[in-house]
Amino acid sequence: MSRLLPFVFIGVVLAVWEAVARSGLWSPLLFPSLEKIGRELMLFFTRTEMLGEALVSLERALGGFALAAVVGILLGVVMGRSRVVAGLLDPLFSGTYAVPKLALFPIFIFVFGIGSLSKVALVFLECLYPIVIMTCAGARDVQEKLLWSARNMGASRAAILRRVVIPATTPFIFAGFRVAVPVAMIVVVITEMISSADGLGYQVIYAMASLKTDRMLAVVVVIAALGYLLDKAVVLARDRLIYWEKLDTYYV
Amino acid sequence: MAVAKASLLIAVLLVWQLAALRGLPEYVLSPVQIAAFFAQALGTRELYENIGASLGRALPGFLIGSALGAALGLAAGTARWFDRLLSPAVFLTYPVPKIVMLPIFMIWFGIGDLSKVLIIALACFYPVFINAYTGARQTRTILVWSALGMGASRWQVFRRVVVPSAAPMIFASLRVSLALSFIVMFAAEMINARSGLGHMIRVAENSLRFDLMYVSLAAIAILGYAGDRLVRLAHSRLLAWQQPA
Repeated sequence: MSRLLPFVFIGVVLAVWEAVARSGLWSPLLFPSLEKIGRELMLFFTRTEMLGEALVSLERALGGFALAAVVGILLGVVMGRSRVVAGLLDPLFSGTYAVPKLALFPIFIFVFGIGSLSKVALVFLECLYPIVIMTCAGARDVQEKLLWSARNMGASRAAILRRVVIPATTPFIFAGFRVAVPVAMIVVVITEMISSADGLGYQVIYAMASLKTDRMLAVVVVIAALGYLLDKAVVLARDRLIYWEKLDTYYV
Repeated sequence: MAVAKASLLIAVLLVWQLAALRGLPEYVLSPVQIAAFFAQALGTRELYENIGASLGRALPGFLIGSALGAALGLAAGTARWFDRLLSPAVFLTYPVPKIVMLPIFMIWFGIGDLSKVLIIALACFYPVFINAYTGARQTRTILVWSALGMGASRWQVFRRVVVPSAAPMIFASLRVSLALSFIVMFAAEMINARSGLGHMIRVAENSLRFDLMYVSLAAIAILGYAGDRLVRLAHSRLLAWQQPA
């Protein structure tokens, strides 16, 4: 019984949805039945142009995320290991942390154009913060004992960085990734909803504007599944790479 | 010391200003121009009305979402059956971008403020729930045992042991959810609204009023920064026994 409990809640929600949809109290525009949503989902996966839309969104999210990962890890490690750099950059990052970077989007459109580049740039900027902050926290808190031992055994600075600092920081880097991946999806979908002619976010707005609630919900399901799968991919990579330690946190 | 801390910021602003003097594209204003436009906008009613409209959406959403997240997170962290019932659904939907629910909320609750407040509440719920849940589960068993040993009731254990030990985690998540509430508020207003800072920046963009664009940007930046400072201040005041993270 207790093993089934997790599915009870989800099952009840779906059952209530179907009951509401079939009751006829509200228009099917408000609550399309699960069957209709399922049919739209089937259509989504059988039509290549819709899969193309998903690919466009995925490319933007992963492109911005990859850039942020490279820059963020570099900055984070340097900030964590050098007090001078931390003193310079930390006020910049903590000062602008709570500022919604999304507000820069209209300006990015003028600078980078209305295509993918402005969206990738915004994804990069939003993903940079969690990755830098987590990496910096990890690199700063490497155990002194380990650094001393390595130095004592005659390790060069490069060897210490590669053999001690980077492995000790990796769990934190993945914790940063775990925050940044959903952020990348959020930013892509939002920017596509605001101004775009392609991508999943645009498809949501387009379906709503043409009063196709069932199709809109199907796209929402696809976006949700993508977000879930990307998170699972990060967790899988983490468990593969850092089998010796688990830092299972969503937030700092 | 404060000057040394802000040195990079000052350097960036200086380079920006110097570049502007040598000629930048018209959509990049210099810091001095932005400050001048902002000071000018502070004298108009329009700015205050938009700020009021934005805060009127972000704050109720933040409060509802965070309160629900904290309450349900603590409940799931202490009662096992509730944990089994609710947590899988929450963790399953956590990586899903909540903003995609906005069009559905708009169809269900209308295009007015209600749908925006609810979407902000939904987005704020997740980080607070997860931190309250983790915080409650990380309560040291020895403290619970001692309290029970001294004859505390279940409610007293919850109130005096579990809640205080989860409080630092909850405050850490409030910082995240407040930042999130501003992001979602701004996004929702850019997608569909007739007032607010997000609407203001959209209008400015469409009519190429770069001055208004930067005024709106500066206003949201100041609000976000001030909100974050307030949460951190409340954290250090209320939880004086614990060093803020």
